[in-house]
Amino acid sequence: MDVACIIRDPISRRRFFGRAGVTFVGGSAVFLSACGESQDQKDEENEPSSPEADIDILNDALALELTAVEAYTKGAPLLTGAVLGAGEAFLAHEEEHAAALEQAIVDLGGKATAVKQELDYSALQTQEDVLEFANNLENVAISAYVDSIPKLSSGPLRATAAQIVTNEAEHVSVLLAALGVPAVPSAFVAGNPEALG
Amino acid sequence: MSADRLVIVDGDCDTAEIADYEATRRDAMRRGLIAGGAVLAAGTVPMLLRVSNAFAQSDGDVGIIEGAVAIEQEAVAAYDFAFKSGVLSEPITQAARLFRDQEQEHANALTAALEDLGGEAPEPPEPADVQGLTELRSEQDVLAFAIELENAGVMAYIDAMSTLQSPGLLKTGAQIMANEGQHLVVLRLAMGVSPAASVPSAFEAGTDGPPTT
Repeated sequence: MDVACIIRDPISRRRFFGRAGVTFVGGSAVFLSACGESQDQKDEENEPSSPEADIDILNDALALELTAVEAYTKGAPLLTGAVLGAGEAFLAHEEEHAAALEQAIVDLGGKATAVKQELDYSALQTQEDVLEFANNLENVAISAYVDSIPKLSSGPLRATAAQIVTNEAEHVSVLLAALGVPAVPSAFVAGNPEALG
Repeated sequence: MSADRLVIVDGDCDTAEIADYEATRRDAMRRGLIAGGAVLAAGTVPMLLRVSNAFAQSDGDVGIIEGAVAIEQEAVAAYDFAFKSGVLSEPITQAARLFRDQEQEHANALTAALEDLGGEAPEPPEPADVQGLTELRSEQDVLAFAIELENAGVMAYIDAMSTLQSPGLLKTGAQIMANEGQHLVVLRLAMGVSPAASVPSAFEAGTDGPPTT
């Protein structure tokens, strides 16, 4: 499957990546902004942030979760049997993540301003297409969470983010297994900020 | 899983002291008292308590990483023993070998980080040092044991996320924790659950025991 075909609208794509901080174009770019930078730059950016910065990070994470909810919702009709069961479970997980992030934002005194990104799902024609797309989306999210964890100012927030990213990594293993490829390809799950093209 | 699955056979430890420590399943797991349906020998508890203390009482990254290295070394020993046990089917044997190698990668990375911080890695344990390990007799025993082992690791890394200070170590810890979660998925699937049930919670807390199928 050509993932690039799924995101045909370059404006939407830029908006998605920018809002999610995935390719560092516009948006707050707080959530993920380490690609291609030196270690010194990374360390500088990884200084503990303030609650206000936490709210920005959490809103960027929320945007990814809302996008994942829509992706699994759109993909579900193409899934069958046990794979459908997994897709429905993962959809519920993403909804739980979104709810937790919204609550955390409110608890910090902020507002949940994130909205899901508009992606073009018309290229999804088969179960394999959905599995590959979901895997790519999960890898974008994993990359974003891993890079965001050192930037969150509180231990509990970092712990929750780690629990979420581990859940996303678990989704990846199920998706890879369903695709018939190795389910645990790397000892260090870093995700891929450019997995969607 | 209920805490009563954790069975401790009295050994050369003070049982009352152990009971005091093991008030909850979470505390028990954090201390690496692996159940997995196996009867545990209390004789190895002191080493595991030492590991847990590194996480629970450390006031700095060095102590936390020392504890993490010890946990990873224990996982290497466990998967290596399982890989060579002869009780595993071919697919599970291959998974055990892969997971042993990945746990070794974690241990190597954390050891390097520890040495950079001026610390020193503990000596790797022998199989007999990992309580319950040498008593595993079947593939189901091994799978359940490995799930509890991975759960203990996940719990430890969750704690580490709250206490580590170094951004680089936080990132590496999250990447390792995510990998342990992936191991859990494979182990649960191998125990016969559905793909959906192989990811039982939206927030991986290391608290879901081996599935009962």
